[in-house]
Amino acid sequence: MLKTLARPGVAGAAVALALIGCAQTGSQAPTAAPPAAAAAPQPAWKQGMPSSMASSTLAPLAGKMTVTPADQIPVNRIKLPPGFKVEVWATGMPGGRAIAAGDNGKYYVGTRGIGRVYEVTDSGGARTVRTVVDKLNQPSGVAWRNGSLYVMAIDKVLRFDGIANNPNAQPVDMTAAFKLPKEQHHNWKYIAFGPDGKLYVPFGAPCNICELPSPEYAQIRRYNPDGSGMEVVATGVRNSVGFDWHPQTKELWFSNHGRDWLGDDTPNDTLHRMRATGLNHGFPYCHEGKTADPDVKKANACGGVEPPVALMGPHAASMGVMFYSGTMFPPEYRGALFNARKGSWNRTKKIGYDVVMVKATPDGKNAQIVPFMTGFMNEADQSFWGRPAYLLQMKDGSLLVSDEQLGAIYRVSYGG
Amino acid sequence: MRQPMRRAPLRPSIALLSAALLAGGAAAQALPERLAACAACHGAGGAPAPLANTPTLAGQPPVFLENQLVMIREGLRDIPAMKGLLDGVSDADLSAMAKHFAEQPIKPQPGPRDAALFARGQQLADGNRCASCHLPSYAGREQMPRLAGQRDDYLLHSMRQFLNGQATGRDTIMAASLHGLKDDDLKALAHHLSQLAP
Repeated sequence: MLKTLARPGVAGAAVALALIGCAQTGSQAPTAAPPAAAAAPQPAWKQGMPSSMASSTLAPLAGKMTVTPADQIPVNRIKLPPGFKVEVWATGMPGGRAIAAGDNGKYYVGTRGIGRVYEVTDSGGARTVRTVVDKLNQPSGVAWRNGSLYVMAIDKVLRFDGIANNPNAQPVDMTAAFKLPKEQHHNWKYIAFGPDGKLYVPFGAPCNICELPSPEYAQIRRYNPDGSGMEVVATGVRNSVGFDWHPQTKELWFSNHGRDWLGDDTPNDTLHRMRATGLNHGFPYCHEGKTADPDVKKANACGGVEPPVALMGPHAASMGVMFYSGTMFPPEYRGALFNARKGSWNRTKKIGYDVVMVKATPDGKNAQIVPFMTGFMNEADQSFWGRPAYLLQMKDGSLLVSDEQLGAIYRVSYGG
Repeated sequence: MRQPMRRAPLRPSIALLSAALLAGGAAAQALPERLAACAACHGAGGAPAPLANTPTLAGQPPVFLENQLVMIREGLRDIPAMKGLLDGVSDADLSAMAKHFAEQPIKPQPGPRDAALFARGQQLADGNRCASCHLPSYAGREQMPRLAGQRDDYLLHSMRQFLNGQATGRDTIMAASLHGLKDDDLKALAHHLSQLAP
């Protein structure tokens, strides 16, 4: 069982129980609570909820698990800078998240709850969708290398050789080689091959906020394509589900989700640059490179912690990261980073639900965040219809954006 | 991955229905026939459910119903009595079924109230913050089900599954939310919630 964390007063004796494994010293006296409730640790999404928010009804938002036809997608509500246009490129993929480009006009799309990996076939004018594999435990990680599709679920790693040519290709089960840890929360994956030919894999913290139950969490690793040669390249990373490599420096830049229940404006999700391997990014003691955690404490909490390149908004769900290297978009976009922000739930007023551009120098200085693709969320009535999650640049320089809420992929192009 | 096929003893009515559905081809059924088939176990209009350990569907949030129907069809949520019943049913038909049952009146039929058990259940529900997701009215919302007025025995059956790791394909948050509770606690919670007016 995890060493979970509750804040003083959250659930009475549960605090005392949970603190056994934590470096926290609570000064408030626990409030009275029903004895039977005392044995129950908070579920991960609720850990760290302060007593002042105990009556909050903020909760994770529902996904949609059914197909959304193209004519029911309000794509005309999407707003882009002048000269850009957007179309529904493909739909019919409930829960579709990360996109990997394969051979022969094939694209592969991972999911979480619905357990499927989709294949999109682009024949130029139209797209068709089929399910490659299903009944997996959150197979959100998809990557392509040398004619093979790599799929990573929480508890399984599969490789489909030659699948772009042979739709019936059966998977090679590579799970044993990757030695995946047992905890599931925040251990759904984003995966990608780096310029070094290695497969990069994040392992999130199995909680909202806690001392790690064992060291194999809150880190990013890389492996040889066969699962050998594992190396931890970054630590103190709470939950990264998006990264890309800088086109000039070839350094890894990654997004990271900040913790919940510290209020509407604290802490931010963050964007990081990996200038060297083995650096510590702060979790659980330090957020944003500068803010000590009020629950899991240690002296000099932010000492030696690598600061982020940019603050991406509190609870904004900073997901897919992509450097633009095409020539279709105007010059100011070349070399800029796009980041899809799926949108907040742990905040009384929604933020995110957009794609932003981050302009920074190659060494990560002077980051500026500029809105790019908006209109998925209505600030006035707090409703939303789409949740942009991942990005992929097509060969012609146009941009694919997946919408995990509607199971659709939009294509953003310029001019023409 | 998934558990192997389990041979569950089907109640006669379900077995007959299954046979009829399979023979006729579940995918080819019209919506009224499909809804009539649901009624055998869940009640006409999805309430009140006539069979033990079987949920009332009426008045549930449509997103909750739709998500569960998809998970059952996909084989991710394992309910022996429903295995195969939704094979080949389109997303549009599952959505229509969810909408239909969400709009029906719930018609709760609670048994006699045990005041002490009811009070104990309320204390547990408050302590475990059940209302933060299921709402203070326990009417549920979005992907989170209505608890108020649900069958007592189904609530207990369902919570036991969560607690014992048998809620395959269902919400891991719920399993964590019940961690550490005893069977007597679950009985009190089930009694309390089933007695609440919808």
